[in-house]
Amino acid sequence: MPTINLRGAQKNYGVNSANAVSNLDLEIRDGEFMCLLGPSGCGKTTTLRMIAGLENLSGGEIRIGDRVVDSIFEGVFVPPEKREMGLVFQSYALWPHLTIERNTDFGLRLRKLPKAEREARVEKVMQALDIAKYRDRYPSQLSGGQQQRVALARMLAVNPGVLLLDEPLSNLDARLRLEMRAELKRLHKEFKTTIVFVTHDQWEAMTLATTIAVMNEGTLQQMGTPNDIYDRPANRFVAEFVGSPPINILSFDKKGTSDVAKEAEAYLSSRYPSLRGIGSVGIRPEALSYATRKEDVPQGNFSGKMVVTGILPTGGSWILELKSDSHTLFLTTHALPRLELGEKVRFFAPPEALHVFDKDGQRIAEADKLLRSAKLN
Amino acid sequence: MAFLSDSAKASPTAGGEASAPSAWQVWRYRLKVASREPTTLIGVLTALLFTYLIVVPIISIVLDAVRVQFGHERRLGKDFGDLTLYYLDRTFTSPVSVDLFWRPLFNTLSVAVGAILLSLLIGTILAWLISRTDMFGRRWFATALIVPYMLPAWTFALAWTTLFKNRTVGGQPGWFEALGWTPPDWVAYGRFPITIILALHYTPFVILLFGSALRRFDSQLEDSARILGAKRYQVAMQIILPLMRPALMSSMILIFAKCLGEFGVPYVLGLPVKFEVLSTSLFRSIASRQTGVAGVVAASIMLIGIITLMIDARLVREARRFVTIGSKGSMNRQSRLGKLRLPATGFAATIFMLSVGLPLLTLFLSTVMKLPAQFTLDNFTLDYWIGQDLHTVALQTGVLLSPDLWAAAKNTLMIVGLASIASGILGLLVGYVVIRTPVRALSVYLRQVTFLPYLVPGIAFAAAYLSLFAVPRGPMPALYGTVTILVLALMADQMPYASRAGISAMTQLGKDPEEAAQIAGAGWFRRMMSIVIPIQKGSLVTGVLLPFISGIKGLSLFVILAVPSTDVLTTYSLRLVDYHYTQAANAVVLIIAAIAYLGTLAAQKLTKTNLAEGLGS
Repeated sequence: MPTINLRGAQKNYGVNSANAVSNLDLEIRDGEFMCLLGPSGCGKTTTLRMIAGLENLSGGEIRIGDRVVDSIFEGVFVPPEKREMGLVFQSYALWPHLTIERNTDFGLRLRKLPKAEREARVEKVMQALDIAKYRDRYPSQLSGGQQQRVALARMLAVNPGVLLLDEPLSNLDARLRLEMRAELKRLHKEFKTTIVFVTHDQWEAMTLATTIAVMNEGTLQQMGTPNDIYDRPANRFVAEFVGSPPINILSFDKKGTSDVAKEAEAYLSSRYPSLRGIGSVGIRPEALSYATRKEDVPQGNFSGKMVVTGILPTGGSWILELKSDSHTLFLTTHALPRLELGEKVRFFAPPEALHVFDKDGQRIAEADKLLRSAKLN
Repeated sequence: MAFLSDSAKASPTAGGEASAPSAWQVWRYRLKVASREPTTLIGVLTALLFTYLIVVPIISIVLDAVRVQFGHERRLGKDFGDLTLYYLDRTFTSPVSVDLFWRPLFNTLSVAVGAILLSLLIGTILAWLISRTDMFGRRWFATALIVPYMLPAWTFALAWTTLFKNRTVGGQPGWFEALGWTPPDWVAYGRFPITIILALHYTPFVILLFGSALRRFDSQLEDSARILGAKRYQVAMQIILPLMRPALMSSMILIFAKCLGEFGVPYVLGLPVKFEVLSTSLFRSIASRQTGVAGVVAASIMLIGIITLMIDARLVREARRFVTIGSKGSMNRQSRLGKLRLPATGFAATIFMLSVGLPLLTLFLSTVMKLPAQFTLDNFTLDYWIGQDLHTVALQTGVLLSPDLWAAAKNTLMIVGLASIASGILGLLVGYVVIRTPVRALSVYLRQVTFLPYLVPGIAFAAAYLSLFAVPRGPMPALYGTVTILVLALMADQMPYASRAGISAMTQLGKDPEEAAQIAGAGWFRRMMSIVIPIQKGSLVTGVLLPFISGIKGLSLFVILAVPSTDVLTTYSLRLVDYHYTQAANAVVLIIAAIAYLGTLAAQKLTKTNLAEGLGS
């Protein structure tokens, strides 16, 4: 499948309502496994449906390769049945009146393929997804996981150029979800289809995607590899949305600045006087370490004194809740913390672990260079 | 065109920026999207159809009310069709207004209020017994007590006259008369029997609405109050009753709306003592060609109906505030009746006997007995059903052998059948368009216009049809006296139910199965044939059967619009009543009741639902 291109794509459901998606530029290359990630209502499902042609645009255009499939300017709208895509719905949307085999066969029949070929393809895809033994059952007789596989098989049977998945795993229990993730990754390798996957689950996105597009309130926040998203969040929204426990944010706003934030401000301005216009600093909990003695804090690290107010085991790791007079930090550690509640500790983090954002919440790229070079010195 | 292609070329560069498309481009695009599928086209066509079949007749009769009618030109000194307040004045303020409007209005209100109070009293007790106690045979009663609603209301009226008729009217004497006791007029006719019959007929409403509210009521709410120290009556007054109020109000209002349009019962029981309600007054105005006055009365009935149901809609909305989240713990605990178990069962059985057993038995016996209330063997005969060469002036065969019956039955099947098939299919289409069309205004309009007949009592709706279609208008010939007008009127009258069924079926189906087919490559027609219709088969059957049942027992539409050549079973039996062929009339009514009852059961079997519950809504 050629590259899918969204340019300035826009969608609103009525003149007065806010944009569900606004001015979205997105490029999905052949063979990519792209995740659209964002909180509910961020426009990710709408984006997926626009690609499929189930929603028409309110502005902008969509192209597949050189072919315009949806554009107000050009007055073009290619209906979904002519876009040759596959879409797996959140609800699976299996046809309740058709058997599993007929469900899988439906698209092939429409394409008027010879019977032998149809049977061969249905067989292959049903084997691949391990549903061949249910061929004569009806959807209502299958479990959620089985239905999900039928929904996938139905779309894979016609061998679509791109497979769109709308939160397909959200209705499954935790164990099945894990299995299906592995399955999806395997299918992506085996069928070499482009996959666009909508999810609000960051772990799902991290584990599956080759590219993640983070969306919020109808706009694209950042697009990049999973590591990019996690290690270099483009703005505060991405930083706070990805990661659990969430990133610690020290806000430098004049009003209500906490004591820890003030220390961070002092730390940065003394060591990197060229950095200006900082709005906030973020530190991931796992980038923080702690020490009970001052001597154990490495040179040049950002550090401060706080009181341990909570030790929460999560199985294999621990979350520490640290409090100062006006701030709470969360810290993740993999070693059993030999600490008492109420004990005073020093937290610390190396300068390259600090994510620096400007007053609008955008990442200050120049700060990354500065903070990293500091380590080399 | 040069301009066009320029703008098209310009788009790729403009794409990324937020340059707004011109209005023309937006419209061209929208047209493209909308015309891609026939959904919107079908929507527009059905909207036009229903505007013509529902809105125009109503406007027509309202206009009749304020325009000079044929024959009144000279008296009013105006031309035919000019605006006039004469009919309003005549109906509301003139000396005859008392007879035309005010007394019928008072009678309607008093009968309705009486029926409401009585049915609430009986209905709430029965609903509670059925849904929250250990009364004997609860399940059986749950169905049996709904049966009165499945039968035509005037079945009971005929049974009543069979029993209580006195010498005020001719024909065969009533049973009590024959036994030597002459019932006074107030027992035999008028307000008292009409109120009782309507109450019994509409009690199922209360049982259904109140009962389902009771069943949904979470026992934990009761328990919490008890744990906090409330006594039983305090729980009843402070917890249960306030939460049940919406259901009670709703059933009251529905009963009121139904009473407003009820024609058969007051016609049979009111006429002998000139007890008129609005519907019979309207009928009389139409029968005596008082088109203008009929317009005013019909419009008044509509107005009252609309106001009533708007109040109901408001109450329903308010009631949503009370919807408690049905958790797993939403238990429905039964009260033990103890010593009262037997008497309670007796009460339910008595009501069943009064509202179903006795009337049907009376009607049946009356059709196999030569003289009323003489229970000797030689008095029994099957002549009225299958007899031949009877020594009567007309109807010289038993009713089953009478060609008139079969002609009426054929008419009924054809008219009601056609209308229900049409309304079932149109209902599904309307449902489809309402849910699917991208044009919101169209969806809203279709939903509302198909619901409109619900607000208009059948008899007023029939009057509206008469007003529009009695004379040729434009390309439309005069339809009065044809089968067409009956089919159209019946279809339009059934649209509220059919479109509701269609809309709810499409809502339940959701978009996904169809969109999945679309993604798989199926065009509109293909999706309709292999996805939508097969899945909706069941609701299509219901959408045809329900209108059929209610059409079979319907009277008020036919009584205005049917003529002898288009007699249906209901009007045929009414005609027999008018001619005092009591046995034959009763036999026909029994046939209707049997068809309606069996039809309901069949629909229930087919759809595997308790249809009785659907009737209340």
